[in-house]
Amino acid sequence: MPGPQKRSSLRQDDIFDAVVDLETSLFQQGFDDGFISGVRLGKDEGREVGLKSGFELGEEIGFYRGCVTIWKIALERDSTLFSARAQRSIDHFDEQLRAYPLTSPEDERLQDLLASLRVRFKAIMAMLSIRLDYSGYPKASSAGEISF
Amino acid sequence: MAKKLGGNGAARLGFLHQLEGHTDRVWGVAWNPASRSGGAPSMLASCSGDKTVRIWEQQSTVSSSSPSWTCQAVLDESHSRTVRACDWSPNGKLLATGSFDATTSIWEHVGGEFDCIATLEGHENEVKSVAWNTSGTLLATCSRDKTVWIWELQPGNDFECVSVLNGHTQDVKMVLWHPSRDVLVSASYDNTIKVWAEDRDGDDWRCVQTLAEPGWGHTSTVWQLSFNMSGDQMVSCRNAILGNYATTQCQKYFVAFASWPSDDLQLMVWDSTVDPSEWTGNGGGPWKHLCTISGHHERTIFSVHWSRTNGLIATGSADDCIRIFAEDPTNVASSVSFCKVLEKQKAHEGDVNSVRWHPKDPRLLASAGDDGVIKIWEFEQDL
Repeated sequence: MPGPQKRSSLRQDDIFDAVVDLETSLFQQGFDDGFISGVRLGKDEGREVGLKSGFELGEEIGFYRGCVTIWKIALERDSTLFSARAQRSIDHFDEQLRAYPLTSPEDERLQDLLASLRVRFKAIMAMLSIRLDYSGYPKASSAGEISF
Repeated sequence: MAKKLGGNGAARLGFLHQLEGHTDRVWGVAWNPASRSGGAPSMLASCSGDKTVRIWEQQSTVSSSSPSWTCQAVLDESHSRTVRACDWSPNGKLLATGSFDATTSIWEHVGGEFDCIATLEGHENEVKSVAWNTSGTLLATCSRDKTVWIWELQPGNDFECVSVLNGHTQDVKMVLWHPSRDVLVSASYDNTIKVWAEDRDGDDWRCVQTLAEPGWGHTSTVWQLSFNMSGDQMVSCRNAILGNYATTQCQKYFVAFASWPSDDLQLMVWDSTVDPSEWTGNGGGPWKHLCTISGHHERTIFSVHWSRTNGLIATGSADDCIRIFAEDPTNVASSVSFCKVLEKQKAHEGDVNSVRWHPKDPRLLASAGDDGVIKIWEFEQDL
């Protein structure tokens, strides 16, 4: 093992530096290349996943918004259409929908708020005696889920 | 007046009758609350894997010997799968039946006939339990879809959904109302018992307490709950919780929850005196663990019921046995404890799925089993 290198002010590197540090520098180079590549791939994948979940979330929230709009219009035409309790529930649901943080994907409450929206929607459907959904509508028991 | 049967003498559970007819396991039995009131005969409803509900009636009780039982009605063509639970409304006129077909049917008893007057839909899969509140205005149902639904009885025998309660993370096994307050308790496969109360300002219900922590909760499925007569104690059977509500009698304990038979083979008794809606939120929750009864059951306890008349707790278990527990009279400590009064082996040829005390007669107990029969027992104890 060579002793400590004296660096003269005239030479930046010892001629052995490149050899001695070969393994380390190659490793570092590989790592850096891989990292850059990984970041790019990760971003692409992240964008895909983000697009997919964003779409699903938007579709669900949009569906609820559509339902609320129709119900409110119906109520304007005939305010006796739904029971008082159903109307209160629809109003409450409307408030929750408006307050939903659609543009803050990092908000921790996203899942919980969505769960409570879903549950309220189910209750309203029961109050109005209707059943609404669309092809991507999430169900509590998804296919393949086993419970004993 | 609650009369505690529970002397120190030898206790016996005498077999009285066997009710046959179901062609599959019987999941539950429910005594009509109007049994023996104003001369009315005892009536029992049973629900089964054969997709039917049977109504049994005991003939007049004038003679001293035990009069016979007949099957008054078979309620079929309403459910397309196993009927898992049944519960009478407090006035005995309506019967709610919950089924694996995800619906709950409401039957009205009019002049000896039973008509299906409503079908409640909403759950996404198997309904596991149904329960009426004490005033008969609200009905709770729970399901494998992890939710609890509360329905309100409207004029004209219509039912309106009041609320859908979210919170359990697994199958909800049983729901039960407090005997004197509109407080709902639910027991789940997620090993917790949740207590729900209505918000003061709205018609939203929220969970006011979750009984789950080690040390004062179950570590496995809570199967059933039962309150004592006054409602100040609840028993649970892990895998069973019993909760009985009691009236303002000498019973100070509050309901012990007997939660669905527990896999940890224990009964836990909880103090449910405090009204959850008045709870200010300090110290973990309004209801506290009182004691644990363990070591008596060798297999899962499927059912627990605390009698409203005699203060005894009955359990039905996977080892085909029925056991009876009473408050320990020799206990001098300040906390409450229970001791086993009797064990009836081979009560059924199969798991005992449900045990229920008669609402008025302190000696009668009904049990239902995997063998497809219902048995009526008489409890006696020498003083």
